[in-house]
Amino acid sequence: MREAGMDEKKSPACEEFEPRLMLFAAGELDASQVVDLNDHLQHCTGCSLALTQQQEVLALLTARHAEPDAALLASCRAGLEDSLDQQEERSWLRRTIGALLPASWISPQPAWSAALLVLIGFSVGMLGPRLLRNAGGKGGTDSSVASNHATGVVPGGVTADPAFASSPTAGLSSLDMRTASVAGINVFPAEDNQPPQVQLQLNARQPYTVRGTVNDDDVKQMLMYILHNNQRFDPDVRLDAVDLLRMRNNDPDVRSALCQAVHTDHNAAVRLKALEALNGAEPQDIIRQTLLDALVDDQNPGVRVEAINALRDMAAKGQVDADDHLLAVLRERMTKDPSTYIRLQSAEVIRDLGPRQKF
Amino acid sequence: MGMSVALDIEARQAAAAKVAEEQALVRKAQAGDRLAFEALVRRFDREVLRLALNLVHRPEDARDIYQESFLRVYKNLHRFRFECSFYTWLYRIVTNVALDHLRRRTSRREDQAPVPEDAEGGTRDFFDRQPEQRAGANPERNLLGQELGEQIASALNRLSPRERMVFEMKHYQGLKLRAIGDMLGTSEETVKNSLFRATRKLRASLESMR
Repeated sequence: MREAGMDEKKSPACEEFEPRLMLFAAGELDASQVVDLNDHLQHCTGCSLALTQQQEVLALLTARHAEPDAALLASCRAGLEDSLDQQEERSWLRRTIGALLPASWISPQPAWSAALLVLIGFSVGMLGPRLLRNAGGKGGTDSSVASNHATGVVPGGVTADPAFASSPTAGLSSLDMRTASVAGINVFPAEDNQPPQVQLQLNARQPYTVRGTVNDDDVKQMLMYILHNNQRFDPDVRLDAVDLLRMRNNDPDVRSALCQAVHTDHNAAVRLKALEALNGAEPQDIIRQTLLDALVDDQNPGVRVEAINALRDMAAKGQVDADDHLLAVLRERMTKDPSTYIRLQSAEVIRDLGPRQKF
Repeated sequence: MGMSVALDIEARQAAAAKVAEEQALVRKAQAGDRLAFEALVRRFDREVLRLALNLVHRPEDARDIYQESFLRVYKNLHRFRFECSFYTWLYRIVTNVALDHLRRRTSRREDQAPVPEDAEGGTRDFFDRQPEQRAGANPERNLLGQELGEQIASALNRLSPRERMVFEMKHYQGLKLRAIGDMLGTSEETVKNSLFRATRKLRASLESMR
């Protein structure tokens, strides 16, 4: 169809009315302007045609106008809900982190914030250990733990600086105990059948030295602590601890620690050494049960051999009662243990225990 | 006469109640009430989606605009100070998102042509896929309807994003020029000029179709 002819016949009046045609079609003309426009349209065919064209174009576009279908709307809503869920999770995390790290303050003032962080770090470094030690050391009295930063090593004695006088068990704070590592255990033989001197060097926040004999409770506690927390200390240190504690294997606490080492230590050498350390201790149910457990459960044949040897020693000395449980275990080992030696020794123990049993 | 005045008063009261209810919902949503926010979304989202769909013509893009708009609303709701209606504020966000989308699309050549392919390997956009009701079941008229759709899409593509937005808001959302100006952050006069340019371009493009 031909263009409305506005270009050819455009008069100044038509040019003035052209925008009004658009506004009229859009319903944006006020009443007085509508009257003026109608007057013009009555005698201007070009503008009338232009208006008609405009209305037809609008009708055409309106007919092709799309309405979102329900499926699209539902999918948009579902997507938005998911995004909002994620948003809420993120904002919760941000709030939590924001509460811990004042990033909003730090970012705009880097110089001041760096200075503040250095100051905070310095303060924490200076005051934190003191506060912790004061808290942990309240009530601490005698101790053989000495800080090298205080007055040096005091054999079997007391820490000179009360601020550092907490227990090793007593002498170390609980934090130190949890974090200390053992740098080494030195043993100095003593004369006249006296127990050897032991020097335990600890690396905590400050180096510590625990010194004394195994008869000193602090030394004993530290050695037992090593066995109880075997996963934190090297096997060499644990072996030394077992070796030293052997001298006190009649102490119920020590006995218990050695039995625990047999049950839980991951290193077969330590378990073996702990079994050896139990040898010669007063016969106790706990020892007998530990030996039986090692005999049945330990995967290491050397440990099982040591267990059956110890049982045989005890049986030979009449230190174990031939109860049903013991006999059942021995019979089972006698038939099932992969080690010939253990099978033979199990039979020997049964024989030693008394009258021949029916198998 | 008396009857019409009474109806007018009732309509005003209903409108005022609706505004009050909407403000209460906004306040609750600002306080973190997720259900209130969702109620607000459901109140306006069909219109938002319609606007988006008719601007970008592809449901996937329309969904993106919908999603981004309401997420922006959610994140910035605390900044809404009731200085305008929530509807206006919402549309400011929606139009910004949609304009960004249109501008990005204009600047990417690969996005200029409709992407989804039909069974015959041709490209058809959402409008092309809509049933041509006027064409009925007549294949010839169907073809004509398809051609018409393509020409309309082509004509609309010749508009600038802002012209497209103004035209859409005026003729399909039925908004007043002043309201459109508020939403787009511009004057009524500027909107009027945009609409004028859009109308002229469309008339010129679709001249042969009539």
